[in-house]
Amino acid sequence: MNALSPPGISAAPLLRGENLSRSFGGGGWFGRGRPILAVRGVDLHLARGEALGVVGESGCGKSTLGRLLLNLLPPTSGKVVFEGEALDALPAGKLRALRRRMQMVFQDPYGSLDPRRSVGAQIADGLLIHRMADATGAAARVAELLRQTGLEPAHAMRLPHEFSGGQRQRIAIARALATRPDFIVADEPVSALDVSIQAQIVNLLADLRSELGLALLFISHDLHVVRHLCDRVMVMYLGRVVEQGSAAAIFAAPAHPYTRALLEATPSMRHPVTAAPLPGEVPSVANPPSGCPFRTRCPAAESRCAEAMPPLEAHPADASRQLACWRAAELA
Amino acid sequence: MRRSLRRLVLPAGLLGLILLLALAAPLLPLADPVRQNIAGRLALPSANFWLGQDEYGRDVLSRILWGARVSLSVALAATIIAAVIGTLLGILGGYFRKFVELVTVRLAEVVLCFPPMLLALLVVTLLGPGAGTLVVSLGILFAPAFACLAYAETLSARALDYVTAQQALGAGPGRILLRTLLPNIAPPLIVQFSLTVASAMVLESGLSFLGLGVVPPSPSWGLMIRGARATMEQAPLLLFWPCLALAGTVLVLNLFCDRLRDALDPRAGGGGPAGFLRRAAALPGPALRKDATPGLLRIRGLTLEITGPRGPVAVVRDVGFSVAPGKTLALVGESGSGKTLTGLAVMGLLPGAVRVASGEILYTSRDGATRDLLRLPEAELRALRGRDLSMVFQDPSSSLNPLLRIGSQVAEALPRAPGRMARVVELFRQVGLPDPEGRARAWPHALSGGQRQRVMIAAAIANHPRLLLADEPTTALDVTVQAQILELLAGLKRSEQGMGMVFVTHNLAVVAQIADRVAVMYAGEVVEEGPVAEVFTAPRHPYTAALIAATPEGEAERLSAIPGAVPQAWAMPAGCRFAPRCSEARPACAQTAPPLQSIGPGRATRCLRWKELA
Ligand SMILES: Nc1ncnc2c1ncn2[C@@H]1O[C@H](COP(=O)(O)OP(=O)(O)OP(=O)(O)O)[C@@H](O)[C@H]1O
Ligand code: SF4
Ligand code: SF4
Ligand SMILES: [Mg+2]
Repeated sequence: MNALSPPGISAAPLLRGENLSRSFGGGGWFGRGRPILAVRGVDLHLARGEALGVVGESGCGKSTLGRLLLNLLPPTSGKVVFEGEALDALPAGKLRALRRRMQMVFQDPYGSLDPRRSVGAQIADGLLIHRMADATGAAARVAELLRQTGLEPAHAMRLPHEFSGGQRQRIAIARALATRPDFIVADEPVSALDVSIQAQIVNLLADLRSELGLALLFISHDLHVVRHLCDRVMVMYLGRVVEQGSAAAIFAAPAHPYTRALLEATPSMRHPVTAAPLPGEVPSVANPPSGCPFRTRCPAAESRCAEAMPPLEAHPADASRQLACWRAAELA
Repeated sequence: MRRSLRRLVLPAGLLGLILLLALAAPLLPLADPVRQNIAGRLALPSANFWLGQDEYGRDVLSRILWGARVSLSVALAATIIAAVIGTLLGILGGYFRKFVELVTVRLAEVVLCFPPMLLALLVVTLLGPGAGTLVVSLGILFAPAFACLAYAETLSARALDYVTAQQALGAGPGRILLRTLLPNIAPPLIVQFSLTVASAMVLESGLSFLGLGVVPPSPSWGLMIRGARATMEQAPLLLFWPCLALAGTVLVLNLFCDRLRDALDPRAGGGGPAGFLRRAAALPGPALRKDATPGLLRIRGLTLEITGPRGPVAVVRDVGFSVAPGKTLALVGESGSGKTLTGLAVMGLLPGAVRVASGEILYTSRDGATRDLLRLPEAELRALRGRDLSMVFQDPSSSLNPLLRIGSQVAEALPRAPGRMARVVELFRQVGLPDPEGRARAWPHALSGGQRQRVMIAAAIANHPRLLLADEPTTALDVTVQAQILELLAGLKRSEQGMGMVFVTHNLAVVAQIADRVAVMYAGEVVEEGPVAEVFTAPRHPYTAALIAATPEGEAERLSAIPGAVPQAWAMPAGCRFAPRCSEARPACAQTAPPLQSIGPGRATRCLRWKELA
């Protein structure tokens, strides 16, 4: 698997997710609740300093996966191993201490900051919780972080509502960076932002990654952004990984029918979409189709696709890539 | 913040006065509240007894003030106990769920099931009357309401990102509960506090009135009401004074807590609620324009204003563009650039705070007459809305009435005639809804986002509109579904002969996909207009060029970002509005506001330096 890591990135994984699954609900009122399988059997690994993009449409389990990796949600099965330690086996105190090293940036810059506390206080939270600084030390670090994320130290006194969406996202990034983490989950950090601001944040994340050697799990539905920022990509559909591999290879020649459809459907200024759009919509996670999850919309589906779930296997022509499709060999 | 603090002064002053009077009662030169004076029985107000004397000849003013001590302290003490215990139970139950939730919140719910008076009677009977008992029983009585409120608020706040962020930072439960959750669930609790103090005072009066609360002869407002009732006919004023004290205190308290809650809201004073759309007042002048050359839609000099703290602020300024029959114009720009307001102005529907300052929106209808929509009387405009002009909004889920079957909702757009339902089914087929007959009887919640947007489009094209305004119709949708909707709209343009479309979006790639012409908006102004292909290959405004460069496509290693942010409506730069962020700006740009000038057939730009930069 480590063959996947591009050169220059250390091979020992910082973080590993093994066979992660998470379901919600089940039982429920009136006895008609079916468990929702938000994430199903996902394996992944992330090296120090590596950026992994997770793409897919709404409800495919991207956010749930991000929260599982940080143990903000416990997995229903499978485990997350951070530097050799399984997070679910850690006592609560140790887990909290470990949180210093892994952080999260959320999608909605309006909802992720406490509206009643100054941004400086919120950026300093991590430092004080982990006793990494006293009050004066924290103030100095907050000023440094604000500068690093393109804001001004004087902004520390203000409340979140005095900032624009892009500025708030910078504040959220500053908060995540405060404890000098090794790993950040960024859950659609630019989706709520305007194009010009989006570019600022993407560039900021790219800079921070190279300066600080951060490992990044970048969740997005915008393939163009992922391509700019990530070394590797994981494409998800209905809670499963359907294709993964190096970003460059996947964007140049998507192999899975869903990845292809996704790339074709993404509007582009330079090449207008010509292919017929994919029919239908993502089926409900509560009631996924039998066999291949994509078969209800797949232009290449055959009868065998309904029978069993295709396993995630090496790409026939490129061993560094993997995809889950019965017809991988024919379609490649 | 400052305004809401100022609004707090009056109720705080009144409340302070009430408390001060109650506290200072022993120091004031008042008659003894319990000294009887049979001679002055039921006497009217006099120089010595300002409010008169009661049925035992005691001084009413003195009894009101001394009574305030009892009534207020019982009510406040009981409410504080209830608030502390209840909030603690609710917040713990809401945060930890599971077992804790069971013991705390469910218990509180059981207590809530008892009628309050009955419960109070029970406790008082068990413990015997007196102020102490009263405090305990009222405390028990009111705690569950706090618990349930705190529980519900905690449940919803707990799922918010900023609470998860605290968890992700490694904060322990104590810190999250105290630092993050408590301050954020406080506002409704404060309101509850004021309501509870008020009902505690009323209940105290009630219990004392029944003889189960404060023991006579100590004065309390409840006892005073009870005493005055017997002599109501001879001395109605005796009933009036304690009632006035009770009602006045309750009112002041409610006002105080209400304003306190506003003052604690960090966003207080910022822009008001968006509110309903309403018909914008028609501008004076004739609507019919015989002189104008017919087109489909021509907007010129449209300026929309809101009233800011320092006078009117133009949120849309001097906007102009035109749409030819059968063509699509994309209105593109960043959030807050005025795209939606411009679209709404065409429909003659604007949020309450926005008014039309000037401009004209010329529309040529089927009969060939050209009218100015800004000057058209509402009755005539209403006849156009939904028939000639129709609109599709961004969020398909909030545009449908959840309580009506979708077939009937679309039918509402059609004139009453037999065969309406058949036409609805036909429309559903046209917009590509699977199983159109079945869908017509479905409820909105049974449809996916993309299907709801198809329903909205079906309703919008029901009467073959001549102009369709689509406000970010695909922004809330997934990429593959967006592709379907874009194809549907492109197909409609072919099938609905001559229908023009204004497509509002912030996504340049979508513009390339769907539009013939594009108008780029920045900070309330159109900065460039022209055919899409020309504008995208040879932009003539630095903002358009920067926007294209910032779009994450292509091979560039680094995205080129536009520094800074869109200026706020009330802090617009004096000259060119883009100057603070423009890489080509010169000192002259900050002085003169550039006009939108024509720079070739069908192209215009609002840049002083376009020629040098071309
Ligand atoms: N707390 C929860 N309770 C029940 N269902 C949940 C919960 N959180 C997520 N889900 C469900 O799990 C599935 C995956 O959710 P997730 O938020 O991970 O998707 P996503 O890819 O991030 O979507 P989006 O792009 O819309 O944010 C969805 O069907 C969602 O409704
Ligand atoms: S397994 Fe079948 S249905 Fe699934 S992606 Fe491959 S061809 Fe399509
Ligand atoms: S007028 Fe000046 S500041 Fe404005 S866009 Fe043109 S060059 Fe830039
Ligand atoms: Mg998500």
